[in-house]
Amino acid sequence: MKITDLKKQQGSFALNIKNANFEQGKVHGIIGSNGSGKTTLSKIIMGNLQADSGSIDYQGLTPRDITMTGQRPYLMHTNVYNNLVYPLKVRGHNIDETVVDYWLEKAGLQDKKKQYALSLSSGEQQKLSFIRALIFKPKLIIVDETLSNLDPDSADLFERLILEQQQKDPITWITISHQLVHIKKICDMVHFMEKGDIIESATPQDMFVNPTNPSVIRYLSNTEVSFKK
Amino acid sequence: MFENLFSDYSLTVGMWDSVRVTLIMSVCSTAISSVLGVFLAIMLEKHSFKGKKLVVRINRTLMGAPPVVIGLLTYILLRKKGPFGDLRWVFTIKGMVVAQTLIITPIICGMVYSYLVRTAPKIRAFAKTMGADKWQTDKLILSEIKNEIYFSIVSGFGRSISEVGAVMLVGGNIKNRTRTMTTAISTLKSAGEFEAGIVLGIILMIMAFVVQTLADYIRKEASEDENY
Repeated sequence: MKITDLKKQQGSFALNIKNANFEQGKVHGIIGSNGSGKTTLSKIIMGNLQADSGSIDYQGLTPRDITMTGQRPYLMHTNVYNNLVYPLKVRGHNIDETVVDYWLEKAGLQDKKKQYALSLSSGEQQKLSFIRALIFKPKLIIVDETLSNLDPDSADLFERLILEQQQKDPITWITISHQLVHIKKICDMVHFMEKGDIIESATPQDMFVNPTNPSVIRYLSNTEVSFKK
Repeated sequence: MFENLFSDYSLTVGMWDSVRVTLIMSVCSTAISSVLGVFLAIMLEKHSFKGKKLVVRINRTLMGAPPVVIGLLTYILLRKKGPFGDLRWVFTIKGMVVAQTLIITPIICGMVYSYLVRTAPKIRAFAKTMGADKWQTDKLILSEIKNEIYFSIVSGFGRSISEVGAVMLVGGNIKNRTRTMTTAISTLKSAGEFEAGIVLGIILMIMAFVVQTLADYIRKEASEDENY
């Protein structure tokens, strides 16, 4: 996916991405301070926000190939099962109960299949949202801070799920997170955003261990995690 | 039991017919208002147009409009010399349904619109992430706010059975034909038949209680989405 001269003005904030490339089948991480434009960019990619100008070349992906899951996921006013199969129903797919059970088990929600989804804890809601995004085999998933509220075990589980998925049938991931350890562990490429632009794209090694961009160095120095060996 | 309780006069007021008229009028006007109100609310939320804020403000004003004013307006429109005089609906249940529809529709529309403004954008964004098309998205929105829609309809029905001013003006309070429970109470009071009036009032209160219980049940269902 290629982004060229993408502009969006929102109040005093301006998104202005000159060039960015998100190679297909890779896990991309987007990092940057609050207000740098990460979520605005993700909404534009998803199609939930219209850019003022510029273009995104989706390279053959259709809107139905793309999905997004956020920090506060929307869950329908029904049970866990109906939430999980909704994207399958929308596409007219036959529902394979073994696949449904597989994902519920992966997320540790197998006993909550008939439970009202909005009565789940916030961590469980995020897990449900995550597997709902995966169940219909999208080609691009945007994960906006979804893993932030998870306990360490659950976060590890989802890191494993992402890595398993990439080994089995690689898809494109765009993960927005402030959790740099998580980004470093799962991402193939990291993009650093500042003032509405992607100013640096590099491998996790180059971004975190050998950063050269002064803004990146400043950002990393403000985090409590040290990647230096 | 009732023969002992009520005097001949209270029976001649047509109390039991007033229950029938009240139910017919309220059910019909609520049904029509529900379809109109929900449809208008969806259209209002979905489309941006010049003057939309003014339309919303007018709707909110109509939500609190005095029923007697709406009744007078309906009467002027439906009376023999009025623009719709040929229909001959004045002093009929049909005319009362028109007045009630004009009173309840803005209430249902306003309530549903408020729910939609709060929730529809989130649902649309979610539906997009799920790959839903426009039709599936609209269906999802309606399904997601169904409890709120039921609640609005129940509120409209509650308003309908308790209304007196407009139905008195348009219906004329004609015994066995257009006399509702509220206008019957008014008539009984004028005749000093307080006992019968109170019994009719109690029946009306029981109906209102049943409607309110239903509304509370729906609200309780809706609030089950609280997290823990």
